[in-house]
Amino acid sequence: MGVPALEVLGISKDFGRIIALRGVSFSVQSGEFVSILGRNGAGKTTLLNIISGVSRPSEGEVKLFGTDPSDRENKAKLAVISHEMFLYGNLTAIENLEYYSRIYNVPNPKQRIETVLNDVELTHRRFDLVATYSRGMTQRLTIARALLHEPSLLLLDEPFTGLDQHAIGMLITLLKKQKEMGRTILLTTHDLHTANELSDRYIVISKHKIVMDGLMTDTNPDAIREKFFSAEAGGIDS
Amino acid sequence: MMRTAISILKKDLRMEFRSKESILAMWIFSLLIFVIFNFTFEVSRLVMLEIAPGLLWVAFVFSGMFGLNQSFALEKENGNLRAMALMPVDGGQIYVGKFFSVTIIMLMFEALIFPIFIIFYDLQLSLGMFRLIPVLLAGTIGFTSLGTILSAVAVHTRNQQILLSLLLWPLVSPIIIWSVTLTGMVLSGEVTEAFYPLLLRVGAFDVIFFTLSYMLFDFILED
Ligand SMILES: Nc1ncnc2c1ncn2[C@@H]1O[C@H](COP(=O)(O)OP(=O)(O)OP(=O)(O)O)[C@@H](O)[C@H]1O
Ligand SMILES: [Mg+2]
Repeated sequence: MGVPALEVLGISKDFGRIIALRGVSFSVQSGEFVSILGRNGAGKTTLLNIISGVSRPSEGEVKLFGTDPSDRENKAKLAVISHEMFLYGNLTAIENLEYYSRIYNVPNPKQRIETVLNDVELTHRRFDLVATYSRGMTQRLTIARALLHEPSLLLLDEPFTGLDQHAIGMLITLLKKQKEMGRTILLTTHDLHTANELSDRYIVISKHKIVMDGLMTDTNPDAIREKFFSAEAGGIDS
Repeated sequence: MMRTAISILKKDLRMEFRSKESILAMWIFSLLIFVIFNFTFEVSRLVMLEIAPGLLWVAFVFSGMFGLNQSFALEKENGNLRAMALMPVDGGQIYVGKFFSVTIIMLMFEALIFPIFIIFYDLQLSLGMFRLIPVLLAGTIGFTSLGTILSAVAVHTRNQQILLSLLLWPLVSPIIIWSVTLTGMVLSGEVTEAFYPLLLRVGAFDVIFFTLSYMLFDFILED
């Protein structure tokens, strides 16, 4: 095994008096698909924000491909999907994608934009302002935007939010394709079945710590639910 | 190198021209300033000319504040400022892009406001007025070079506009005061030998503000 795609080394994070993470460590090999599970307020989003470098840990450090996350080469390899759209409402889908392909120096931008728009089935609305899109359409464009520069590390924070059944299936197919291409993927979701279908490995965060880190093949969604998310498993995390 | 800055500039101008309300709002606002001052104070024309340069800059500065708030509200809206922090580019380039877009928009406002001003105060256009061009440029750049970085700072906070005002005014007021003085000299046709040294001083501040902001912008983008 070469350099891990991601190393999280003893991360802690506080927001004033609020504790978000305590001593979280794990590493992810290139090509792995990891689901991060946990209740509301467990610290999943905080963890992804620290990995992407937009938020600083109070303690510990993160390495992407063996180096600092803020290195420009690392940023160029990274894609983030979060609850924020990263899109301009007052621009059309095409204009948004053109803007980002210039910033990310995407080769053959025209063709690439066509491909990603087709992947998320928005080609027919490409000349419309994003402000006029429905929630789910916006989320699909967010996905297209994230995949535009062919990132090798994807951080997906509840990417299924707002998608209908058909679009969920579409995203699952897309993510499977990304996995086949050898991309490294971290996903947070509350849908244990989807997590099970997609990922090789799962990490459960509870009370600011990793309480489980195992292979999907060794478990099943119901066992995870029973163990960590049932009423007996204990109160809320926030 | 400049690809990022140019992309950001193009994107901003495209959006600005698409939402024409802000331009119209600015224009009406300036009209109001001039009307109010013209008709509430019954002063002699001589006194009027004394305060006119100040009024002109009040209109400019308000349009500049308006433009800054607008520009950074767009970036804050959908987490785009965070997207900028994630971009594989030098923060300085992002600053340059935002700086140029904000500056061009403010200069555009000024070009729209100035004719109303000329009409209201019944000023004679003369060749000497071309000296206003470097004055407006220098004053505007001083305002926007600081305004751009301080807006990026203020965007992270809840009371964005208040913080922006608190940070910006003390730093930018010398530049505005000197610009008013310079504008007064040109409009009254009394360009003394103090004109060019003062203009140079404003220019020097512009360079300092711009360079410092360019270097610091990377830190600002992080939370
Ligand atoms: N900017 C912030 N300021 C203060 N507290 C914060 C901030 N961001 C997160 N927190 C706190 O950190 C804890 C972890 O939040 P986080 O958003 O990481 O949870 P999560 O696992 O993503 O939850 P969810 O499933 O609801 O998305 C929570 O207690 C939250 O209130
Ligand atoms: Mg979350």
